[in-house]
Parts: sequence; structure tokens; C-alpha cells
Amino acid sequence: MSFLYPLFLAGIAAIGLPILLHMIRQHTRHRVTFSSLMFLRATMPRFRNRSRIENLPLLILRCLILCLLALAFSRPFFAKPIEESEGSLGKRIVLLVDTSASMRRPGMWTQAINQASSALRDIRPSDRVCVMTFDRDVQTLLGFEQWEALDPAQRATAAIESLSDLSPGWNATNLGAALITAAEAIEDDEVNVQQQPVGSRQIVLVSDLQQGSDIDALRTYEWPQGLALTLKAVASPGATNAALQIVANRDPLAAPSEDERTSIRVTNSAEATFEQFQLHWASDAATSEPERSVDVYVPPGNSGIVRTPEGLDAGSARRLILTGDDQDFDNTLYLAPHLKQQINILYLGNDDPNDTKDTLFYVRRAFSATGATRFSVTAQRSDAPLTDADMDAAHVVIVTDAIGQDDVATLRRYLERGRMALLVMKSEQAGDALARLAGAGNLEYREAEVNRYAMLSRLEYSHPLLAPFSDPRFGDFTRVHFWKYRGVTLDNYPQARVLAWFDTNHPAWFEVPVGQGTLLVFTCGWQPADSDLALSSKFVPLLYSVLEYGGVLTGRQLQYFIGDPVPLSFGVPPSDGSEPRKRGTPNAATVVRKPDDSVVSLDATEQAFTQTDLPGIYRVESAGGERLFAINLAPQESRTDPMPIEDLENLGVVQSAFGGPAVANAAAVAQAKRVNDLVRMEEQQKLWRWVLVLVLAVLLVETWLAGWLTRVHPVETQDLASPPSPGEQ
Amino acid sequence: MIDPISLMKIKSMELRAKVIVEGFWKGIHRSPFHGFSVEFSEYRQYTPGDDPRHIDWRVYARSDRYFIKKFQDETNLRCYLLLDHSRSMGYGSGSYTKAQYAGTLAATLAYFLFTQGDAVGLATFDDRIRQYMPPRNRPSYLKRLMLGLEAQPEGGATDLGPPLQRIAQMLTKRGLIVLVSDLLTSIDRLETDLGYLCAGGHDVVLFQTLDPAELHFDFDTPAIFRDIESGRDMYIDPVVAQKNYQQRLEGHLAASRATCQSLGIDYHLFATDRPFDLALLDFLQDRMRRRKQIHRAGGSRLGRAI
Repeated sequence: MSFLYPLFLAGIAAIGLPILLHMIRQHTRHRVTFSSLMFLRATMPRFRNRSRIENLPLLILRCLILCLLALAFSRPFFAKPIEESEGSLGKRIVLLVDTSASMRRPGMWTQAINQASSALRDIRPSDRVCVMTFDRDVQTLLGFEQWEALDPAQRATAAIESLSDLSPGWNATNLGAALITAAEAIEDDEVNVQQQPVGSRQIVLVSDLQQGSDIDALRTYEWPQGLALTLKAVASPGATNAALQIVANRDPLAAPSEDERTSIRVTNSAEATFEQFQLHWASDAATSEPERSVDVYVPPGNSGIVRTPEGLDAGSARRLILTGDDQDFDNTLYLAPHLKQQINILYLGNDDPNDTKDTLFYVRRAFSATGATRFSVTAQRSDAPLTDADMDAAHVVIVTDAIGQDDVATLRRYLERGRMALLVMKSEQAGDALARLAGAGNLEYREAEVNRYAMLSRLEYSHPLLAPFSDPRFGDFTRVHFWKYRGVTLDNYPQARVLAWFDTNHPAWFEVPVGQGTLLVFTCGWQPADSDLALSSKFVPLLYSVLEYGGVLTGRQLQYFIGDPVPLSFGVPPSDGSEPRKRGTPNAATVVRKPDDSVVSLDATEQAFTQTDLPGIYRVESAGGERLFAINLAPQESRTDPMPIEDLENLGVVQSAFGGPAVANAAAVAQAKRVNDLVRMEEQQKLWRWVLVLVLAVLLVETWLAGWLTRVHPVETQDLASPPSPGEQ
Repeated sequence: MIDPISLMKIKSMELRAKVIVEGFWKGIHRSPFHGFSVEFSEYRQYTPGDDPRHIDWRVYARSDRYFIKKFQDETNLRCYLLLDHSRSMGYGSGSYTKAQYAGTLAATLAYFLFTQGDAVGLATFDDRIRQYMPPRNRPSYLKRLMLGLEAQPEGGATDLGPPLQRIAQMLTKRGLIVLVSDLLTSIDRLETDLGYLCAGGHDVVLFQTLDPAELHFDFDTPAIFRDIESGRDMYIDPVVAQKNYQQRLEGHLAASRATCQSLGIDYHLFATDRPFDLALLDFLQDRMRRRKQIHRAGGSRLGRAI
């Protein structure tokens, strides 16, 4: 008989415990205080054997129960000879070839092909092979099924040919995901073919194993048992590699600075032999003007930040080139034109722009120019006639006073086209404009009676306008006091959505749909006569939120890397009068021209451009005009120093002998197979169940015997405590 | 006769003694009340620390001086109660200890002797004298005596030699010495120790009080026995050890009795479950026998009523 978990047999030793306790109980722990021991002599403690003898059957039964329990836990089974079939089973191998940008270094790809070829030539006909390439994603060149379908003599050749047709791309390296995909491919194949994991399992990795490889995915992955990684490393002769990167810490709301030159971070590899590099614009290289280049000194393993060389207009697409290191693939940085977003705000009201007691003054202060945006606030008297041209140029309209009948019609047309206007009811007269704009003739409005001040009591933080205030740190509006407001009754106007209520249950802010557009209504002005709003910290964020809600102000990412999806509304405003889009609104048909002059047409439903597989300047051509954006190499791809293999081992990856046959792995697999066979054998026999049945039977007998002894021999049990005759000593 | 267990439930030592003695007198129908006289001895100038009650105010009225009026008592008997308060006396298998029994016994004798008008003193000792009260005969002194008797044993091992030697030196006047002890000490020096008392011409009565458990050693289960005096532990199986214990105890008691006999000491062995009346009766019978012997021998009188 064999045991699956023989260590549990050590539990048999537990039967010593009741016996030991029985022995200990013979020693008296009874203490008696006596006046004098002068007439006494010490006697030797005696063990009374009578109780053990009389209860011996019980003791034996109880010990037997413990033994049987230990036996059941050790999972016994009858071993049968295991048929040896490993020799007939081949290995499962995934050949994983790195095609990331770092493999573009001189000679690397040739080395990689050679390494892969040598690995493929060693493969036996019984092996199952899958060839994959990886960079940011994993592509399968030749699956297990395709490999099986090929003529065994032609398999290696076909795989080498498919690899030879490839060349490294520009993507970053996601080594962790690639290894997981390869490991899962092997496990899936085992499941699909319905074979036991016999034969060895192996991943052959052909890579430069650069430090910039992303291996984080392995942290949450349990490396399969018996799967070994064989690394076939390729190396580049030059150790110095410097890289360029835009410093992306610009605050888009910061005040514009005079120096428009971009900051560039230059990093140097840790094992570099050079420390001196030069930066110059690509167009200047031809003219070779020395004053246009910048010398950069970066010690090995460090980075430095420099300004771009002077000379080229920030409004044009540029190419910055670094020279002085061994590796050229990451020495070019593309910079898209740095364009500011122009936002035109049309203010309809009769205010004096310099009057601090009126609303326009605060609008001008709130919308001052920033580094990323240029605001233009145009004030127009409400009695002046509005033209469609005025309206088309405006991204958003703010109305604070009553406007004429014609102006209402113009504004309504503006709204119906999908635009947004903000109506601030500074006075009761503005209610008329509201009723006409909203198309609600029976709208009730009047000056509300306020007892000292009113506060906002309920706010719809789920609404996009107030979403920035949903965090409890920012959502406290209780310090904003409203002295006067216009009470509007919206009971007869269910289309209106109230965003904030006063504590008197009057709506404070609400929105009314007008055609495709939206009319936002504040029933209280922000000038000091009406409220504290303009003086509170909520005012500027609220107005910016209005712009964002209207689709006027969009977030803008400063730089994009290879593989990043680029949103098609990536921040360039339609300064030429085209209509702004609300968030989520599909764009019109758009064409993107890639750096290699290939053209990608996007239909109206696509939100982002995803084919960013080349570094360079991309040109978006749409009906609204032409926009540019730059795609650069991922900065981690420039970290080309080799990664210590221990980093992978720390994450659980089992490595076979470096580049050699997986001997240790084979032994481990054989051991795993043997264990697996034993487990299956035990599961088929399930002897532990019978042992447990036996335990229950013995328990029943023991219970009956103990009860019988208690009933039948109570006197004898008592006798056990009585002293033995002196002759027993 | 009153069961000692019931009697010991009476908290007050004096009341306990009173119950025993008056019950005893009723039994033998003899009046305990006899007069006694004191004889004026001398005047002495008052010194601070003297009891102001003894100041003779008439002398003060005449001479404007404080004088203490001293009496020479004519008590016929001075009785010294020597009580062993060694730690072994704190043992008791029942609801009371040997010390409590011995205390009650002494209190009974004291009360009895007080009713006779005799002076009673008290000394408690273990390996040295713990408290000493000279013999007096005043009703208020009885209360103090009773309080002294209620003290619990706190001493160490029994060592009769040094305290008895010291007491013998202190007792200048001859009298009756009642020694109550368990005599759980070395028998070799017992004769010497008791000899100190006899050498002074005192009549000595020895009450050896032992617990019934000490006399019979009727324990059931083996246990670790701890010596109450030395704290020494010893594993004892009573079944095995009892026979030997009895032999050695008998030997010890026989030796004690023989020693007392040789020294002329009245020896009484008391188990602590024995009624006090019997103890008192034993004592009186003993005294009567002793008086007859003295009369026959023409020796000096020591007591009047006893």
C-alpha cells in the first residue's frame, strides 16, 4: 500500500497522548498540609495498573480511531505500475520573438532571426511548436494546429521564412503579457488536444531583454508548473543610448510664459560610455548651422532637462534630433505645432466691464488667458441687434439682461444648432427672455422673498456640470450665500432639469433643452448684490465646467506615444467657425495622413485614431480643416540596458539552463507526471472513504462499550481510586 | 457535655470558657464563688507610668503627694498558662485548629481558676516567647487574658528549650504551670526542656493536644504532604505509611509520657475532638490526686481549693 500524503501518518504518534495523559494522572497532584512530617517517611509513587488493564479495550479502540484517522488523511492507495509513455510524447514549445522598437538597433534583428532559426532546427518531429512575435501586443505567426498541419520536414523552414518576412516595429515591449500569452497558449493546447501535461513545456524567448520591458503583468500570474523559459538573448555592440522625451508637466491653466520653447528630457543609459550629446532641429541639420544646436551633458544613468534650440516657430511641426550615442532608433523627437485653443464668449448685457458690482467684470476675470487656451469675451449691449455672424463666432453665449424679440429668435436658432447659452436672471425681466427661449409661455417667475439669505440645499452631482464638485472636498456650497434670486416655477415644464435647488425649494440652476442645444439658467446672478458666488472658490470652476459641458473646452494630452489612441477631438478648436461638438458626438468623415504618407479614412462613428504605429507627425484632414499631432517612441523603449534575468525569476518564471536544453525542466516534468499519476490512481480507488467508514464503526463500538462499562461496573470504576493492598507495592 | 465542634462556633473565648466552666459546676453541684483577701503592703511614691487608679487619694489629701498603695495579694495559686503557638499548632483536620482548641482549653482553665480567685498568667511561645502576661487576679484582667488566648499561631517551628528556659527564669514565685503543646519536637531534648520548669519547684501539668488526624493518620489517597512548619514536601502514600507512622507516633507519645512521669509532670493527651469538660475533669482529678500525695508527703501547700 502506498500513501499520497505519508506525512499525515505522523498523526499516529498522537495515540501516545492519551496514554501519556493516563500515566500522568497516576501521579497525584493532590497536596495536603500536615502538621509535621517527623513521623513519616517518603514513599515511592506507584502506578496503578488496574485501571489500564480494565479499560484496555477502550484504550485500544480509541487509539485505533486515531490511527485510522491518520490513515485516512494520508490517502492510502494500492500502487500499480505506471506505463512509461513519455518517450513517445513530444515537447510543446512556444517560440517568442521580440519585435519591439529596441530590436531596430543595428544587427539585432539578424541575430534574432539566427537564434530563432537555431532553436527551430533543434525541434524534433514529435514536438508541437507555436511561433509568436510580441512588442506591445502578441501576434501568432504559426499556431500549434498550423504547425501540425505542415509537413514535418518543412515545418522549421516555414517558420523561419515567416519570421524572415518580419521586421521590428516601433512599439514598446510588453514582455509580461507576451510570456503569459505564450504560457496560456501551451495550456490551451494541452486542453484542446486533451492530453495530459506529459512531455516538457518550454518557451523559447528571443529578445534583447531590455530594462524597459514591461513585466508587471507577471506579478499577478502564477507561472504554470513544469513550464520553463529558455532565453536566447541578442545583444547590441554599443552600450551608449540616449533618448529624448517631452517634459509633460505643463499646467494647461498656468499663465502663458514668454519663453515658448519646449523642455526636453534627455536620458542616458546606465552603461553608457559617452556623456556628451547634441540636439538640433532636423531641418537645420542640412544647413549645418552650429548655433542652432544645443550641447547636452548627461552622465551615464542620469537624465537632464534642456530647452529646445531656438530657431523654429512653435507653430510648425518640428523634428528634434539627438546625436552622439550608439543607437539611432530613438534619437528623433517629433513635436506637433503648439496651438492655443481659442474660445469666444459672447456676453449680452448692459454692464460696465469695470464695475465690480456687476457680472461682466467677474466673467472677464474668470476667463483670462492660460497656457493652453486663449479666451475672448465680447460684450454686447442687449438692446443692440444680434446678427447670425456674431453668433456663429461665439462658442458660448451668456445672457444677463432682457433681450429683444428678434434677439431671442436669433439666440434660439443658435441653440437649436446644438450650441449652449447661459441665461443669468439678474432681474425679473430676464424671465421673459427665458420663457420665450424655452418656448414656455406659461412660465411663472417672480422675485423671491428671501429671509436674510438663501443657500443651495440639493445639488445634482451626477450631472456633468456639477460632476467636478462631486468629491466631498469640493462639494460644500454652504458658504455661498444668495441674497436675492428669482423664483421660477417649473411644475408646468417637465423638460427642465434642475441641477441645484435653494433651501426654499426654488430651482437655483436648471437646464432647458432647446432643439439640439441647451439653455442653462441661473436664477440668481453672481454679482455681489445677488450673491457671494463670484467671490467664492466655486465660481471659476463652475464657469469652466459650463464650457466643458458645452463641449467648448476639451482636455488635451500633451504628447502621444506609439500605439496610443488619439481622440479625434484632441483639443484643436474650430477657430474657423465650424461647430463645436458636444462630448460623444460623432465627428464628420475624417482622413488621417500618416508620416509615411499613407492615408487612413475614418468613418463618422470612430472616436479615436488607433493606428499610431509609426513615429512622426500625423495630419488629420477633415471638413473643418487640418490638424497635426505627433507620435513618438515610448520612452521606456529607450532603456536598452539588459535586464537581469533574476527579475523574471523573482516573478516566478522558471528558467531552464541558459540557452541550453531544459534538462532540469524535464526532470521536474517527469516528477510532476509521476505525482499526477499517483493522484489519479488514488482518486480512482478512494480508499480513504472506506477507512472513514471503519472509523465510524469503531466509534460506535467504542461508545457502546464505554456506556456498557459505566452501567455495568460502576462499583469497579470506583474501586479504581481505592488504595491497593500493601502487598501490591 | 458539649460537643467541641458546637462549642467552637462560639466566637467569644470568654463566653466559651464560661459555658464550659458553669456547665461543669452545675454538673458537680459545687459553688465556685469563694472570697479572697488582699493585704496592704506599703506605700510607694507615684512615678509616671504607674496606674493612677492605685493612687491613694486620702494620702494625697493629707500630704499633697501622690502615693501608690501597694497590696500583697494572698492568692493561693499562681497559674501560668504556657501555650505553644508554633506553626504546627495551626493544623486542624476539622473546623478548628489545635491552637484554637488549646486556647479554649487554656481559657477554660483560666476562667475556672479566676472563679476560684486564683491568679492566672499567660505566655505564648514558639521558638521564643511571643507574649507574656504576668499572673493577676482581676476581673478586667481576664478579658485581656482571653484576648491573648485568641491570638493565632504565627511562629515557626516548635522549640521548647529556649522559651521554657526563659520562662523558668521569669517565674520567681512558684506556682502551677499548665503547658499546652503538641510536643511535635525532638524527644531527645524534651526532658531537658521540661526540666527547666520543674527545677523551679513549679507544679507542671502538660496537656498534649493532637488532632485526630495526627493520632490516626487516616488519610485515603496518596498526596504530597507539606510540613506546615518547615514547608518541606514529601510524597506519602498513607496506606503504606500509616503503620510506620503509628509505630513512630506511639513511640514518641510513650517517650513523652515517660519523660513527664520521670519529672513528676502530670501528662494528659488530648485529641482535639475531646469535650472540654472531660479535660477539666481530668485536670481536677489530677490536682486532687496531687494534693492527696502532697498531704501524704507533708509537703508544702500550693493550692487551696484545687
